[in-house]
Amino acid sequence: MTLEIACPTCGPRPHTEFAYGGEELPHVAPDAEADFARVFHPGNVEGPQRERWFHALGCRSWFVLTRDTRTNRIG
Amino acid sequence: MTPGRLRFEGRDVPVLEGDTVASALFRAGVRTFSRSLKGHRRRGLYCGTGECPNCAVTVDGVPGVRSCITPATGDLRIERPRGWPSADHDLLHVADLAHPLMPVGFYLKTFIRPRFAWRTAERMIRRATGSGPLPMDAPATRTVSRHVRCDTIVVGAGVAGLTAALEPAVDGERVLLCDGFAIGSRVAPGPTLDAIRTLEARVRANPAIEIMEGYAALGLFDGPSVPLAGAGELVQVRAERVVVATGATEAHQLFPGNDLPGVWLGRAASAMAALHGVPPGRRVVVVASTAEGVEHLRALVAAGTPVVAALVPSAFVDEVPRETEAIVDGELVEARGHGRLRSVVVRERGERRRIRCDALVLSMGLAPRDELARMAVGEPVRLVGDAALDAGEPRLGGGYLCLCEDVALHDVEQAWTEGFRSAEILKRYTTATMGPCRGAMCGRALACFARDHADAADQRSGARTTARPPLRPVALETLAAPVHEVVEKRTGLHEVHLAAGANLGWSSGWKRALSYGDLAGEYRAVRERVGMMDVGTLGRFLIAGRDAARLAGSVFAGRIEDLAPGRSRYVLALDEGGYVVDDGLLCAVEDGSYLLTSTSGGAERMDARLREWADRLQLHVHLLDRTSELGAILVAGPRARDLLERLTGDPIEAAALPYPGHRELTLAGVPCRAIRSGFVGELAFELHHPRSRGPELWDALLREGKALEISPFGLDALEVLRLEKGHLYLGQDTLPDDTPAKLGLNWAVDMSKPWFVGKAALERLAELPPTRRLAGLEFEGAPAEGAELRGAPLTVGGAVVGRVTSAANSASLERAIGLGWIRRGEDGFPNELGAGSVVARVVSTPFYDPLGARVRG
Amino acid sequence: MAELRTSTPSVTSVLASAEACDRVSELPGACRVSPGEVALMGDVSEAAVRAAVVRLDPDAVVLDVSDGWIVHSLDGPGSREAFARLSELELPAAGSLVGELAGVGVRILVDGDRIDLLVPSMIAAHVRERIEVDAAELLR
Repeated sequence: MTLEIACPTCGPRPHTEFAYGGEELPHVAPDAEADFARVFHPGNVEGPQRERWFHALGCRSWFVLTRDTRTNRIG
Repeated sequence: MTPGRLRFEGRDVPVLEGDTVASALFRAGVRTFSRSLKGHRRRGLYCGTGECPNCAVTVDGVPGVRSCITPATGDLRIERPRGWPSADHDLLHVADLAHPLMPVGFYLKTFIRPRFAWRTAERMIRRATGSGPLPMDAPATRTVSRHVRCDTIVVGAGVAGLTAALEPAVDGERVLLCDGFAIGSRVAPGPTLDAIRTLEARVRANPAIEIMEGYAALGLFDGPSVPLAGAGELVQVRAERVVVATGATEAHQLFPGNDLPGVWLGRAASAMAALHGVPPGRRVVVVASTAEGVEHLRALVAAGTPVVAALVPSAFVDEVPRETEAIVDGELVEARGHGRLRSVVVRERGERRRIRCDALVLSMGLAPRDELARMAVGEPVRLVGDAALDAGEPRLGGGYLCLCEDVALHDVEQAWTEGFRSAEILKRYTTATMGPCRGAMCGRALACFARDHADAADQRSGARTTARPPLRPVALETLAAPVHEVVEKRTGLHEVHLAAGANLGWSSGWKRALSYGDLAGEYRAVRERVGMMDVGTLGRFLIAGRDAARLAGSVFAGRIEDLAPGRSRYVLALDEGGYVVDDGLLCAVEDGSYLLTSTSGGAERMDARLREWADRLQLHVHLLDRTSELGAILVAGPRARDLLERLTGDPIEAAALPYPGHRELTLAGVPCRAIRSGFVGELAFELHHPRSRGPELWDALLREGKALEISPFGLDALEVLRLEKGHLYLGQDTLPDDTPAKLGLNWAVDMSKPWFVGKAALERLAELPPTRRLAGLEFEGAPAEGAELRGAPLTVGGAVVGRVTSAANSASLERAIGLGWIRRGEDGFPNELGAGSVVARVVSTPFYDPLGARVRG
Repeated sequence: MAELRTSTPSVTSVLASAEACDRVSELPGACRVSPGEVALMGDVSEAAVRAAVVRLDPDAVVLDVSDGWIVHSLDGPGSREAFARLSELELPAAGSLVGELAGVGVRILVDGDRIDLLVPSMIAAHVRERIEVDAAELLR
């Protein structure tokens, strides 16, 4: 009963092997206001979103993928 | 003839070969198989395919078993659970007569005041409408869970399913064909069964097709994946494509009297007559609107059933057997009877006519079983065969719409007038389609009703209600099969603790020694002499590579670059909001690498965080989780160094191993890294060693420590020891939005660093005074067990302004102490608060040895 | 029926650049854990490996981590069926992979009917118990 996520190293795996790491965003912002928005106002898009994922029960590397938040389609 | 019997409500019922529980009971004269949910109306055999609720009985203590599809094998014990005093004579049938007093949704509008009214009413309603008590004393059965992969899964092994299995989408693909029953077992002899047998032979001969009979599909999930339940197993099938060949049921018909015992669907009646040799009645009327219906009519007559009349369309009039009166293009108006069918009213050429009968057999169309396909959003699913049919619109003539939930058509009309105007909301208000059949019998009728009544513009209100798993009743035990128990982690000293009779407990995913039998004694040993504790649960990480210092400096809030080899430092990890998420001890190793220790519960998170920032900042580092590989023993107390000196020739006096610092040494022949620790407030050394040498090291310490009056100690003693120093436990003493300022940990932050995770947030927050702080507390008038104060709200003038996060009785300080968070008031932070009847005073921490002289020895 | 055997392995961890790890992955008993990590099973000369690797990555770490691992081996007919009770992973005919089994991350070396599960020592007991219970009828 699992969605599959393709790890760049290990290939497609059940989603239970992964941990979600949030939206892919730059780790710095130009000013305080932009930084606050970056941290506390998620994009919350209805559609494709770039995200960081961690292969917790596999190779334990981080990678970025694009997931459609409406359909869970990845890529 | 297979001799056999069923135990049915105190009497024996004979069983013949091929019998289902329903056929054996029917042959023995049982006509009322159950009582309906709300009105306790009599219900008899109806669909014959396991969809409707009418034949559900309790078999060997398990309620809700569809007797029409359950083989009568073995000495089964059958009961009809609903009905008081019995199903045959049910006094609760009065509920049906009181129907006008209990309109649809009445329980949502009544029993509101007085308050106790609902409690009482609910208990009564629950007793009257339950499906039967669960066998709570039955031993748990073991269900095996396994995973299977294939290219195509075909659900349903009828003609369409067998055909689909033989036509692979891709050459050489692996096909899995499954069905809830044995192939062909539910079909009466005839052309359909012959076709099935021919196809079956070809399928069995094909090595690329795996057959799973007796495995029912429970639903369709992402993947696509289809879980199957059968034979004590839960099989999770992952496929590339899904073919749904689940066929169709005969359509449930709505007309007055449609739920009377004696009203049958065609398949059930013809199976009873042709397969089981029992005619459904002595005077039978058949309504056959389709070719299948005519097949059933002919099967009934061939099996000797007295069919007095058959309503058929003119196209089929020649198929009607001579003995039966054919009523051409007639219309079924209603079924009449009290507790059982006695006559039907038909309209023939405009004239109403009443026909006396005791069985009415309906075969007026099909309702495709398309639930699986309707569960799929964007998955590669194909419907074939009867499941793909475009079913006609059901005629809403009256009677009961939802048999499971006892919802009549006029109940639905009532709900519509009250303003519930879509299939989904009608479902929720009337509970129609919410019963065991999940809408298989009634879903189309409900949607059709909404569509008919809604404006032409509003088509969404007539959409079918959402299809949900499970498709078949399934025990929670089965669903729980693949759920693994919580992963239990153990240190290399686990057996040692067991042998010592330690009191073990769970802590952050580890099995740990809580105490060795004498909490007060363990505490005293550490404060006065020397104690030893298994701390092998701590996270340990190697951080190496040319960017190791940069990674540590980025992830942790404090200064790292001046940490010299042989020295260690307490480090805080913040998230991007500036909140404290982890802490640990960073040791700079002689070769340029670092050894990081973290909390037991936060180890995996810390590892993930280090890897994340190495990736985001593109740093050249090598990270290794050494938690499993290394054991660790904490030796703490004024005599700690004395003990270690007995076991090593390496220098460990204050100058050689200062606080805070670490060094390698060999103890009792075991290579260790000794790290000075301040957590318990005494002279202490964490001895990190190879896991396999742990028991050896533990024994040596215990042996040499005897002369020094050593005692092992556990988590319970640790709790008090660390509390006396005001040391916090992340997660217990902290809240998710605690910044270093709120925790009094600004000393661990270096704002002069160009960047670290969370720095921008702290800069923003620096301008605002903290609205909350974690404070040390002393209690006056505390209960004998100080720990009871943990979690108590802290009040000022009756208003809650904080909470006690940790509390214990301190033997050394002879009072109860604790930690708690307090909100700032208008005049600053309060110094005296109430904790129930106890007075809490804010004091500075550490409580014990404030200058830390004992730790630095 | 498959046999379940538990043993303490020799494991050497190599943490190095992807290029250096590529070379090390060619050695027998190698399991490529991630782009930057290789686990070498069996008796390995730490010094020899370090010497070879350091030429490609002077920062490389080569460490004997044997104490951190336990091997549970499933060997014989039915070993793959037993594996399928505990994990959703699809096993190749031969090779190595890292993934989830019984709720934890494990390293797997497989060759025909022989499946070696390399599990961290701290959860070795948990994994052994799950195999014994969930695959009971398939084990000798």
